[in-house]
Amino acid sequence: MKVGEPERLIIDGKRLDGRAFDELRPIKIEAGVLKRADGSAYLEWGGNKVMAACYGPREVHPRHLARPDSAILRCIYNMAAFSVSDRKRPGPDRRSVEISKVTREALEHVVFTHLFPRTAIDVFIEILQANAGTRCSGITAASVALADAGIPMADLVPACAAGKVGGEIVLDLNDVEDNYGEADLPVAITPKKGEVTLLQMDGNFTREEFEKAFKLAIKGCKKVHKIQKEALRKKYGGT
Amino acid sequence: MVESEELVLPGMEVGYAEEFIPGEGTYEEDGKIYASITGTLKIDLKERKMSVEPKTSSPAVPKKGDIIVGTIVDIKPQFAIVDILKIKGVDRELSGSVSGSIHISKTKDSYVPDLSKEFGHGDIILARIIDTDRTPLALSTVEKELGVIKGYCSQCNMPLLKINNKLKCSNCNQIVYRKISSEYGKGTL
Repeated sequence: MKVGEPERLIIDGKRLDGRAFDELRPIKIEAGVLKRADGSAYLEWGGNKVMAACYGPREVHPRHLARPDSAILRCIYNMAAFSVSDRKRPGPDRRSVEISKVTREALEHVVFTHLFPRTAIDVFIEILQANAGTRCSGITAASVALADAGIPMADLVPACAAGKVGGEIVLDLNDVEDNYGEADLPVAITPKKGEVTLLQMDGNFTREEFEKAFKLAIKGCKKVHKIQKEALRKKYGGT
Repeated sequence: MVESEELVLPGMEVGYAEEFIPGEGTYEEDGKIYASITGTLKIDLKERKMSVEPKTSSPAVPKKGDIIVGTIVDIKPQFAIVDILKIKGVDRELSGSVSGSIHISKTKDSYVPDLSKEFGHGDIILARIIDTDRTPLALSTVEKELGVIKGYCSQCNMPLLKINNKLKCSNCNQIVYRKISSEYGKGTL
């Protein structure tokens, strides 16, 4: 047993932070918070604090990256040095490059890139405070930022993780559960058609556990989608 | 034309493709019409077309009739080539690099014997987009408020000052003629 590891992660059918197995942490999203970005969103998801900004469609530099028939989507996921308790060495690393890639792929599927040939759409995701589930937070915020920038897209992309903690399948792992749990399964979907645009797995599930966790994660995504819509409604009026 | 107050969001179902044509800000999929941007729904019952009027800012795509700000990069016998920098009134970076051209006949409302007497290299101009089907985009500076808004001397590259209907170099006092905009030197964009 490692230092700081709790004895049990599930006590009397409740999790350590008092949540039920299928309960999300509180989520708050605000759209259009940055004046100089074309679109932006600030998200708080439990202990996560994420800022997403979107620029473009704009000229592509370097030029050779431009595609003659569509826009290119570029995502950069970055963790601030102060976002975790041990200072994170600034700059891109293996982990953040991977998350940038999967984020781009999760969003690329919905953005109508063919409407803006020879341009680039840039998305920047800045993790100000991390508490497990930052890639899901990042995708959720980035999707609201894209909508705030008025970029045509097929659907919003909510993301949410499920996992296995103390032998139980639970929704939306927090820091402790992520570190000492058995498995983590981040999922992003397009709610309208139910397409999965992100699916990763860390740890081990049995086939039955996977199915259960996957279904739970999709349920979580749908809840997140409601919050995304509320954030846009709050900013742009209407019911 | 029916306009609803309700806000639609990307991915929200707004109608059926059997009934309406998907217009701006919408797309068709599996026989239904969905919104692709955030805004209010507009239904044109005459054309049976559904579109979404954006409430967010929109990407800066040059449209016919827009006034643009640009610089003259090349002057040919028949055309002046313009590097378009900004769409007037749109506070967003232009989507992609866009070049335009002004034909000698679209320079001003009188006869132009020599295009190089109307524009100079590096001049900043206001022009109206008259056709977006061609690349470079077709521009016009015929209107009074269109034309050069800031010019530079061909000999010393210093700014030109407006004196009556002529431009005078602030350094060498050379007098030059240009298709001057009524907004010359006012710095209003």
